[in-house]
Amino acid sequence: MMIYTPLGIVPLMLTFAAFAIPLLTLIIKKEWFYHLYALVFSIIALCYTAENFWLVVYGVKQPVSYLFGGWIAPLGIVYTVDGLGAVLGLLVGIDMVLIVLYSIWYMRGEEGIEWYYTLLLLLESAMIGIVYTGDIFNLFVMIELLAISAYGLVGFYRHKKEAIEAAIKYALIGATATTMFFLSIVYIYGTYGTVNMADLALKARLPWITRYIPQAAAYFAHLSGTGYGNPIVATAIAIALALWAFTFKAAVFPNYFWLPDAHPEAPTPVSAALSGLVVKMGAYATIRLLYTIFGVGSLIDASAAGGWSLRDVILFIILLLGAVSAMIGSLVMIIQNDIKRILAYSTIDHLGIIFMGIGVAMHSVSQAVVAIALTGVVLHMINHSFGKTMLFMASGIYIKNSGTRDITRMRGIGRLLPVTSLVMIIGLLHLLGVPPFGGFFSKLLIYNALIGAGQVVFALILILSTAISMLGYMRIIVNLILPPRPPELIGKARESIPATTILCVLAAIIIIIGIYCLTGGINTLQSIIEPSTTLKGLVQYIDSTFSTYMLPR
Amino acid sequence: MNLSLMTAYVVVISLYVNLGIALYGVFARPSLVKKLLAITILSDTANAFAVLVGYRWPASGTPKPPVYTNTTFNNQTLHYYVSHAVDPLPQALVLTAIVIGLAVTMFIAFIIIQYYRLHGTVDVRKARR
Repeated sequence: MMIYTPLGIVPLMLTFAAFAIPLLTLIIKKEWFYHLYALVFSIIALCYTAENFWLVVYGVKQPVSYLFGGWIAPLGIVYTVDGLGAVLGLLVGIDMVLIVLYSIWYMRGEEGIEWYYTLLLLLESAMIGIVYTGDIFNLFVMIELLAISAYGLVGFYRHKKEAIEAAIKYALIGATATTMFFLSIVYIYGTYGTVNMADLALKARLPWITRYIPQAAAYFAHLSGTGYGNPIVATAIAIALALWAFTFKAAVFPNYFWLPDAHPEAPTPVSAALSGLVVKMGAYATIRLLYTIFGVGSLIDASAAGGWSLRDVILFIILLLGAVSAMIGSLVMIIQNDIKRILAYSTIDHLGIIFMGIGVAMHSVSQAVVAIALTGVVLHMINHSFGKTMLFMASGIYIKNSGTRDITRMRGIGRLLPVTSLVMIIGLLHLLGVPPFGGFFSKLLIYNALIGAGQVVFALILILSTAISMLGYMRIIVNLILPPRPPELIGKARESIPATTILCVLAAIIIIIGIYCLTGGINTLQSIIEPSTTLKGLVQYIDSTFSTYMLPR
Repeated sequence: MNLSLMTAYVVVISLYVNLGIALYGVFARPSLVKKLLAITILSDTANAFAVLVGYRWPASGTPKPPVYTNTTFNNQTLHYYVSHAVDPLPQALVLTAIVIGLAVTMFIAFIIIQYYRLHGTVDVRKARR
């Protein structure tokens, strides 16, 4: 069997590239060098993520893996990429190139640009590591790396009181949450004797898996031992602790309070990266935990009294938290005046919708509905990522021209910046879910899945939160575009060609996603994502983690 | 119940108490420095917990470090080693977690200094006024 090097090289390359910058500052003082440096490395990372996507989806047509240092799977760190990870990795790659391009325009002339790019490259490295890793402790390390670079970027304007306060709030509670995730890993290791995701998935559902791979169980018991203690109680505690960290990362209901401070105070390209990509990593980790590791047929999935298993209860809590945060996000959004704060609350709303989609997969729900739900979730991640990146970038152009973030004080400025305003309207309609754009299809898929699962109340909450959030979006349009042009800015406000070009590229991506969904792209995406929800796909995942060296069939 | 197992229970209970104190410190204390101290207590508690998970209570004798020190190699010495050596993996995990914790603590400490420069206090209640 082959070991696929492009998997392992991306996060390592980006980490080395990031840590080389502080050394390069001793020799090179020119600002353009660092812009170019970050751009080159983000493009190389995009090429590698595209190659990995091609490998998983069209080349090998099943999950692929990479062993670090050649250590075999349950003993060493392994990267295993299935369809879900490959799609999200490509999403990170594309989005980060656009964000770096926008940074070149937005951050030019700023002090400390080299430290900015150090943190931004580390952020990208951590995100790709999170979606590729097949080891839950490596997931913890990558989440911490993501968190530290995000704290640093939030506090980048270190002379602003608000930025420092937001960074402190984010960092203190973030450090607590990730420590809780570490405690959860301790519980998992103490119970299962392993931190490898495929091995955990296997041990969590031995009776089912041995039907497919008879020799596997004995082999793993030999390598990493068998379980200790009461696995169900320990798993429940571990999942509860891990979900604390993941909902914190994803800014879902009880842990959303840091986001409306942190995202607006960061530099605008970083707001785009945080809102567009970083919060998705919490949702991704939740999917990995509840679908791959403790998914269908695992020991917490066994149906107890009333047809409810422990996994159903956990998923129902996720559904409920998603619904609450969708409502809170959309309700609080309509009373905000700060344009970046409106977009930040909109992120909470959309993450709530994503978590509602994750919570569909209960015991009684058919496999087809679960596949639709997860396809909707991934499509919504893609849509929200591009849409929110674009909106933050457009709001950055408004902020640069008007010098304020208050929409009531930048009335009419949209008329002076026609391309930006057009893109802004497209982005808002896209996030709202108006049919020609991609946002409609992902909301429709999640809605269909909720109806198919019999969760009518939650389906109505999805519609309701969308309707309420329309008020918030319309306030941006009404304040920026409808009033007459502000006389003091005529002749001063102008769009620069690099920034509008990036916005037009993003708008084109959004329209292409819409057209692609109309012409059958949803089925293609579903065929890529579906294996992550089925037992057959799971067997492929486990197989690819271990088949690099063994498993006589 | 033998004495070492009873010690283990005492250790586990005190770790849980520690966890509670640390969470109280992070969420309820107004001083940022005390919040930082509480976070270090929390991560140290988690690390001690991890080391405890890898600990071993052999039926006889004391646990040994995971290094095979015997010069002879036969079934009996191997059996003794396997049943007495502690699990090295949680210690490796703890080592990684400590290094990451150092980075986080350093970052928070620096940002508290910056907060103090801007506000003249590290008390979040006073700074808000």
